[in-house]
This record gives sequence, structure tokens and C-alpha cells, in this order.
Amino acid sequence: MFRLVKNALLATAVTTVLATPGMVSAGEKYGFGTTATAEEIQGWDIDIRPDGKGLPAGEGSVADGEELYEQLCATCHGLFGEGEGRWPVLAGGEDTLTEERPVKTVGSYWPYASTLYDYIRRAMPFTAPRSLTDDQTYQLSAYVLYLNEIVDEEFVANKDTLAAVEMPNQEGFFVDPRPDVKNNRCMKNCADPAKLQIVGTLQGVTPVGHFVEGADAPAASHQAQEEKERSLHGETVEENAADTLALTEDAIAGRETYDNACQACHSSGIAGSPKFGDKSAWKGRIDQGMPLLVEHAIKGFSGETGMMPPKGGRTDLSDEQVKKAVAYMVESSQ
Amino acid sequence: MSNPIKSLSTRELMEQLARESEGLSISDRRDFLKKGMLAAGAMTATTFAGTAAASKNLPPMEPSWGRQLGAGVVDKPYGQPSAYEKEVVRRTVPWLTAESIASISMTPIQDLKGIITPNGLVFERYHAGVAQIKPEEHRLMIHGLVERPIIFTMEDLMRFPSVSEIKFIECPANGGMEWKGAQMEALQFTHGMLSCCEWTGVPLRVLLEEAGVKPEGKWILAEGADGSHMSRSIPLEKALDDTLVVYAQNGEMLRPEQGYPLRLLNPGWEGNTSIKWLRRLEVGDKPWYHREETSKYTDLMADGRARKFTFVQETNSVITNPCPENPIVKSGLIEIEGMAWSGRGKIKQVDISFDGGVSWVPANLKGLVLDKALTRFSLVTKWDGQPWLLQSRAIDETGYVQPTLGQLREARGTNSIYHKNSIHSWKVEANGGVKNVQIS
Ligand code: HEC
Ligand code: HEC
Repeated sequence: MFRLVKNALLATAVTTVLATPGMVSAGEKYGFGTTATAEEIQGWDIDIRPDGKGLPAGEGSVADGEELYEQLCATCHGLFGEGEGRWPVLAGGEDTLTEERPVKTVGSYWPYASTLYDYIRRAMPFTAPRSLTDDQTYQLSAYVLYLNEIVDEEFVANKDTLAAVEMPNQEGFFVDPRPDVKNNRCMKNCADPAKLQIVGTLQGVTPVGHFVEGADAPAASHQAQEEKERSLHGETVEENAADTLALTEDAIAGRETYDNACQACHSSGIAGSPKFGDKSAWKGRIDQGMPLLVEHAIKGFSGETGMMPPKGGRTDLSDEQVKKAVAYMVESSQ
Repeated sequence: MSNPIKSLSTRELMEQLARESEGLSISDRRDFLKKGMLAAGAMTATTFAGTAAASKNLPPMEPSWGRQLGAGVVDKPYGQPSAYEKEVVRRTVPWLTAESIASISMTPIQDLKGIITPNGLVFERYHAGVAQIKPEEHRLMIHGLVERPIIFTMEDLMRFPSVSEIKFIECPANGGMEWKGAQMEALQFTHGMLSCCEWTGVPLRVLLEEAGVKPEGKWILAEGADGSHMSRSIPLEKALDDTLVVYAQNGEMLRPEQGYPLRLLNPGWEGNTSIKWLRRLEVGDKPWYHREETSKYTDLMADGRARKFTFVQETNSVITNPCPENPIVKSGLIEIEGMAWSGRGKIKQVDISFDGGVSWVPANLKGLVLDKALTRFSLVTKWDGQPWLLQSRAIDETGYVQPTLGQLREARGTNSIYHKNSIHSWKVEANGGVKNVQIS
């Protein structure tokens, strides 16, 4: 009896609770979160649009941009925007979009100048994003446009002049028309077996050591690919004999690893790394002796100038490969 | 397990046999080594048969693990895969990018089962490395053309009723290295920029309703909190349809690599639009044309013009068994297995060709068949050493049939980088080895 009553009570309680969500009327809000203040929004609202919406006050000239660019950007993107190593190319490539290997740059491909301001402001310099002032961002935008011969050296970028820049490839884009191809579900005699052409894989450009016996896991490299492509085209690979003559066998063997895994930092000396070939930067280090240098390169090392990640961040490399890369770096820097 | 083709060298094998024969009597040992020799001779091609025959852990013997105790509970508070699965890892192709902080790695899809990608194996794509974010200091701001601009904490977001959905996520550059010719020697590199998880979060629609989108609002800018402040313009139509603001994957909070503590998920669309480390959503009346929707993620055609806002990942499929990493080890019955997926909906049918696309037979779909999710297909057949030119062709519920590479090249040329969803070909050789080829 008592139990029954209790259950009945419970039942009512449950119905009430269940009824509550039913009372949320359409259009009623949860009310979670706090209203953002104008100041909070302003700090984060960094985006720019082609019509200039979002561009801040301030300005920057090509001349000021040149100095800043050489200081902050040229190590990776090259003095003329040509791109060091595999870092992105920022200038050139006009009229290459229909070629076998198009070069897509700010000048040859980007439709709007506003994108440049927006991107530099949100992401560059690569190692220190969001560190530039509004004026500096105008200077660098002006200079990269100048490198692409889109503005002249007198150009001063501000919110009106930048939005007014017309980019060469502005009309080069159209909205996705896909689905653009139509295949049929053919089941029989769909192709002429006599006419089938089978094209094999370019070998030696992917790391397959994990399943192919004898393959070197990280052998895949830009160089390996280029050499492969060249040899396929019947060209011979040029060796710079003078460069390699003075090196020991280990050092020569370490060159490819250096190119793949170490030059990103050491070729330019970014992040406080001793620059390749810079004798004074290497002298004190070399004096420590090879075993310690190799240990630092393998295990990583935080010294006075910066942080060397273990194996340069490429833990897939064998100790032996790193050792040879160190030999190449050391022999080339003393 | 993942690499049956990598046979032990004879020397390695003999060393192993010698190790395992320790403790046997001299005559046993002689016998044992002789067996080993025979086994070694028989296994030149592949297989672990030689080692298996030499093991003390096989019937009728009691395996060593049955004669001792293992580790106790919370030995590893967060469990890890077996030590024998150490080859099942993400991999990258070093020459693709200047360095690893703005780069991509691929999921080992050759080793995975079912349709869910384990969290630690979901492919990575970073533009400024992995942001390490304190969840209590993370904020999502919604502003622009809205009635009330709002800032949400993670706690606020998790108070909303949640939804969980299984969706694939794919980089539009998946397969993009092969427009001009085959050059990736493994499935992981031809198709591994692909993963599929159960994602949990709040529909973006709910958050937008909370802020109240003004009638002029047509596009959303989504932005990340990492050093690249990755940004993409997304049409409001998609945002109100199935876009999710996600905080969990496969049952646990997002992995840092996947945008912890908050990311966007645009089901079926190019992965880049699913902004990780999501911090800001701005409603506007026009798209922004940022770097990732002009310089990148636009598809250059042969005539020098480029397609923009190419969002959808069209129907695609690939055979995962056999594949270069999983060669055929024995004649006899074999399950041809693979995965199909479509950014436009469910997979309806997958067909398989053994002769390079001259004739096709229907495969079976198996397991869950979900909207914009990986779907498994399977066909059991027999292999007796005959060469095969294996292909799979998927059809989705809209009737779209996965195209040939020839059809794609004819329509687009070879410089578009993105959205290469053509029928893929594997050449199965007489020894069971599998090579990546292109057929035209
Ligand atoms: C440490 C090397 C490095 C430095 C220094 C650097 N960048 Fe970059 N830059 C990069 C990388 C890497 C990318 C591509 C990032 C990605 O793909 O997400 C890039 C991309 C760019 C792009 C877009 C290129 C394209 O075609 O899409 C521009 C523009 C740019 N940087 C400008 C600058 C400017 C201006 C500076 C100086 C303030 C600078 N960068 C400094 C490495 C660097
Ligand atoms: C991400 C940048 C980066 C990469 C990539 C990198 N290094 Fe370094 N490396 C550094 C920095 C920074 C230092 C200086 C550390 C210090 O002394 O404070 C350094 C120092 C060194 C040293 C000197 C150590 C010492 O004891 O003085 C060696 C040797 C070295 N690197 C080898 C390599 C090799 C080999 C590779 C490639 C496998 C490599 N590095 C890749 C940043 C890098």
C-alpha cells in the first residue's frame, strides 16, 4: 500500500521533470554563453575582405617593406620572393598557369591583394605569427606586391589603396561546376582489352621500408624524386665534383639527410641554429668533439642559442643517418 | 602482422632459430636446425611459416604466455596497442613540404578494420604545428551579422544537447600526387589522407540560432586559434544543414592533433574547411577569399583558369586487400576488401574489375552503410596466381558513378592537385605482389 503511494508520487515527479523540456517553445533560446563586448570582438576580428572591409588604419611603403622583408621573410622566401629550398615562392610565375608545371604565386595566381594583408597578419612570419603591427603588415604587403611588379616603388599601402589594387589573375576563378564528369555503370565490354595501357609507378620516391625488404625507410626525398624524374627523361644527374671532393665518405653519404631533414633550419640559421658553412658559429661546437655533437643531434639539445629538436624532428631517421649528416655539416663548416 | 612481404633474411632466420633452440639437447637441436633449414628454403618468397614451425608456443606445446602472469590493472592507465603492431603508424612523405610543422601525414588504412579510425591514427594536417590549448582558457566567439554576439566557454558548449555522428574526413589533396602518373608505392600514400570517426558536439545551427543570424547573413568565416589562424568561408546553407561544432571523437575528447578542445566538422566536404582549434565564427554577407580558398584549395584547370569553393569530396573507393602493403600470400580463396565513401551521401553500390575495367562484378556492402561515412565492400573469390588488374568503382545514392582517371584528366587536365577521386588500379603479379599502376 505504502509502496504504491510512493510509486505514484514518484511517477508525478517524473512527469513534471519530463514536461519541462516540452515547455521549451520554438524560438526559445538556451541563453548559454556571455554577450561579447565590442572590445573583445575587436581584438580577435582580424579578417580582411576583397572590398577592404576589415583593413585597419595606418599605412606602409614599399621602401619600409623592403627592409622589414629582408629582416623577417627573406631567409625562407628568398630576397626576391623566389623561395629558398622548398619554402614557398612568393613572386614570379607570370603566364605559367597553362604550362606543364605552373608556378602559382601572389602575382601569377592570387585574385585579391586583400588576401595578402589578411594572410601575413594571421600567419606570418611563420615562426612568430601575430607579431607584426598593422603598419608593418601594410609595409610587407606593399613590398610583396612590388616584388611581383604589381605596384611601383612609390606605392604606399593603406586601407583605400590596398583595396583598390587590381590583381592580374582576378578574373581567373569560377565557381565549382562539379559533378563535371559522367561515368556509366557499364558491366561488360567496357573497354578494349587490346588498347589498355598500363603505366607503372615511379619507384624510390615513397618511404616503404616498413614493408619492402631492403628499402631504406626515409630514402624518399625531393632529390630522390628529381633524380628519378631526370633519369627517366634520359638526363644525367649533375654532380658538383668540387663540392664533394674534399669530403669524407660519411659526409657525402650524409648530404641527402641534411638536405631533407636539417637544412630547413641550418641553411639559414633560423631559430638560433648554427648556420651551415659559418665557421665561427661552428668552431666552439666542433671543439666539443664529434661524439658529443652527434649525441646532441640525435637526442636533441637546448644550448644558449636555441633548441635543436631530436634528429631535427625527424625521428624516422636512423642514428647512423644523423651521424653522417653531422659529418657533412661539420666538414662543410670548418 | 602488417608486413608479411618482408621476409626474414636467411641469416636472420638462422639466428632466430639458434636463439629458440637454446636449451634443447644436442640431438634435438641438430634436428631443429635441419627443420629450420628446410623451412628457410621453402620460405624464400614470403610468410612466417619458417619461424612459426620453429616456435615453442604452438600446439602441442603450451605457449610461454600460458605459463606465466602478465601485468596487472592500470599498469598502463591509458592503454596502448600491442607491441607487435608497432608498424601500424601514421607516415609522411618527407619531400612533400619544407618541414613537418606545415605538413601532412597519412593514416595506415592498409592495416585498419571496419570503418572507425582509431584516434591516434587519424591523419594529421598542420599549418603551424599542433596548438596546445588549455580548455578552460579556450573561447568560441560568434559575431558579425548576428543579433547578439556571444562568447562561449567549453563548459557553455557542453551544456547544449549533444549529437554524435560517424563521418569521414578527407584532405582534398588525397591522391593528388598522382594526377600526372602513379608515383606512390603504397596504399597509405595513395589514399591515406582519409579517416572516419564518431564525432560528438553541437550542430552549428543551434549556436547560430542562439546568436540570431540577421537576414543579410549568407556566409560564415571559421577561424582557428593555432599559429596559422586557419580560416575558411563557408556558405550559411551548409552551416545550417549538417555542420557540427565538435569536442569529442570516438568517445573521448578530441586529440590535440585533431583540434582539441574544439573543431568544426563539415561532413563530406574537403577536410581543410573543418577548422581545428576553432575559436571564431563570423557571419557576413560575402565570402572572404582568404589564402586557403585562393592560393590553395582552388583547382587549376588546363586552360589556366581555376575552380573556387570546390567543397564536396566526390564519391571515391579503393581496395585495401590486396594492396602493395598486403600482397596475396597464398593461392586459394581470398576476400577482396575495400572502402568506399561519398561526400554527397550514402554509398549504394561498389563494383570490382579484375581486368583493368573491361568487365565488372558487383561487390557486397558490409557492416554499417552511413551517410558521408566510410563504407566497407567485399567480394570473396579465388586467386591461383593469375595476374589481375584490380579496380573498384563506387556509386553513391545520388547515382554518381566514380569516374576513370581518363575522364577526370579530360575534364580538368593534370594540374588541379585536389579532388582526384578516380578509379584506382592495383596490378597483382604472379607472385602475389601488388603494384600501384595507372590504366588508360
Ligand atoms: C621560417 C620560414 C618562414 C619565414 C621566416 C616566413 N615565412 Fe611565409 N611561409 C612559410 C611557410 C612554411 C608558408 C606556408 C605555410 C602553410 O602552407 O601553411 C608560408 C607562406 C607564406 C605566404 C603564402 C604563400 C602562398 O603562395 O600561399 C606568404 C604571402 C608569406 N608566407 C609571407 C611571408 C612574409 C611577409 C614573411 C615575413 C614577415 C614570411 N612569410 C616569413 C615560411 C616562412
Ligand atoms: C627546427 C630547427 C632545426 C632542425 C630541423 C635541425 N636543427 Fe640542428 N640545431 C638547431 C638549433 C636551434 C641548434 C642550436 C642549439 C643551441 O646550441 O642552443 C642546433 C644545433 C645543432 C648541432 C650542434 C649541437 C651542439 O652541441 O652545439 C648539430 C650537430 C645539429 N644541430 C645537427 C642537426 C642535424 C644533423 C639535423 C638534421 C637531422 C638538424 N640539426 C636539424 C635547430 C635545428
